Amino acid sequence: MEQPKVIVIDDEAIMRDGSSRILAKENMAVVTAENGEEGLAKVKESPDDFDVMLLDLMMPGMSGMEVLEQVREIAPSLLVIVVTGYATVDTAVEAMKKGAYDFIPKPFTPDQLRIVVHRALEKKALEEEAKRLRKEAEKSLKDVAKEKSKTHTIINSMTDGVLVVDKDGSVALLNPAATRFLSISVEEVLGKAIDQIKVEALTQAVKDVLRGEEENLAGVSQEIQLQTDGKEIYLRCHAVPVRDEDGALLGGVAVLQDITQLKELERMKADFVAMVTHELRAPVAAIEQQLTVILKGLAGEINERQARMLGRAKERAKGLLDLVKDLLDLSKIEAGMQVQYMEPVDIGALLAKVVELMRPQAEQKGLTLEFELEEGLPSVNADAANMEGVFTNLISNAIKYTPEGGLVEVSGKREGDYIRIDVRDTGIGISEKDLPRIFERFYRVKTEKTRQIVGTGLGLSIVKQVVDAHLGSIDVQSVENQGTCFTVKLPVVAK
Amino acid sequence: MAKILIVDDDPDLVEAVTMILESKGYDVAAAYGGIEGLEKARSENPDLIVLDVMMPDKDGYAVAKELKADPELKEIPILLLTAVVSHITTTKYTPQMGLETEAEDYMDKPVEPEELVSRIEALLAK
Repeated sequence: MEQPKVIVIDDEAIMRDGSSRILAKENMAVVTAENGEEGLAKVKESPDDFDVMLLDLMMPGMSGMEVLEQVREIAPSLLVIVVTGYATVDTAVEAMKKGAYDFIPKPFTPDQLRIVVHRALEKKALEEEAKRLRKEAEKSLKDVAKEKSKTHTIINSMTDGVLVVDKDGSVALLNPAATRFLSISVEEVLGKAIDQIKVEALTQAVKDVLRGEEENLAGVSQEIQLQTDGKEIYLRCHAVPVRDEDGALLGGVAVLQDITQLKELERMKADFVAMVTHELRAPVAAIEQQLTVILKGLAGEINERQARMLGRAKERAKGLLDLVKDLLDLSKIEAGMQVQYMEPVDIGALLAKVVELMRPQAEQKGLTLEFELEEGLPSVNADAANMEGVFTNLISNAIKYTPEGGLVEVSGKREGDYIRIDVRDTGIGISEKDLPRIFERFYRVKTEKTRQIVGTGLGLSIVKQVVDAHLGSIDVQSVENQGTCFTVKLPVVAK
Repeated sequence: MAKILIVDDDPDLVEAVTMILESKGYDVAAAYGGIEGLEKARSENPDLIVLDVMMPDKDGYAVAKELKADPELKEIPILLLTAVVSHITTTKYTPQMGLETEAEDYMDKPVEPEELVSRIEALLAK
């Protein structure tokens, strides 16, 4: 409450001044009047301003009782404390009957006055709070009335289709977007069985959701392809069960989103990728092929300097080719094409194969490649080709970034419900600054040491995407100039 | 010395592969498309065919299929050259393509000269 305002009406100046002083010390604003008329006039000026009135009952002119009666009318929320020099129970009771809130006998001590005024102010604060709450309740009741039409408007103006069914499978609501998508009118299906909608994939999804009670199904998502107005459209249908507070099934809601344009984009992207495959890869492959032939001296003698420059040119062409391949991989992963062949894979055998494939590369660079595998590792659910890619990439990186004479260790072991594969090297390491970013696309650590190493910066981001798609995890630990260790964890196939 | 037919629509690639093979003393004939490749397979009487996959007029798979369907030509070993996606993360697609086409062997473009020669030697020795 802001500063409380008290009006003191008393014909005795000493009473007015004394009360004013005491209440002012309590941080109250005090207004005084020396008779009933003056007091009433002040209250009339601004009836809502005053919180408490201290009213002497025995005054010449208008009596306290009269003032009290009028105040109750002018400012019903103003709390009146009557002050009487001849405190008898009778006068007090009469005043209280007329609506005074409290009374205080004359003479009173400053403490008595403080207590009685404070009590009145508390009461006033409570009353105001109650009033506020009442107002709010009224407002929310009005809202409820509005809510229904509001929800109706929202659902009807949505561009996504909404279909609501009761738990018995009858259609309870169908918004305009849904009727458009499904080429059906509300009258045709409302209140009727969901089967009236002749889109099998949709009705099946809704039925699956309605069966959700026993199966504890959270929702069904699927793509639906259908003909509308002779056009082919694609919908993403997301159906969820609706439950009450106790978890009992009430029905189901299906939201239909038009993803036709998205599909079109996907197709264009796939076409573009195919274009890139041929138009970009073929010439770069040819360039690399020609350089290889020249470098071998098959097109005539070349001197050492030419050989060195052409060697670099070949490396660059190779890097470019790798980049194109990586980009293709990336777009395929994004299109969701890459991790489609999940099957139980013997990860130990797969690792052994990759390690042997990489061995010539390691030996060529004068590195030791060690491989340690725990016996009897269980299978993991994986796309074998992708997993090969992951480890080829990690081991190839380890070889690339480890100087001659170094060591690359690959190990696989079981760790709880996971198989843990470590690829550890004694290479140049990754600085603390770069470490958090190495799984980002196109992020490459550029230092004097890595300048000569061909790479696209896509490899690790693809590795991470593949591992993520397998519900696994990949972590890296590294100390600069000492080495790096990549740890991949893949969930074991549940028995 | 054995005669090898190279079929590829990219003349630069044909030239480069020709140089590799000629340096090893092979006789080399070249065709710059699928249809020409089939003609030369008959007219040049090669001992082995190096066959590109992606060609505009008739692709390598179709050429290989016709060759293998021809009783007179089906014994000629085919080495398929794939520039199709065969990155480390997609290696599984390549062998499948090789199997589908019944080609005897396949390699990624660009080829390392030693590797190409050793593969060809192996195929010819069969």
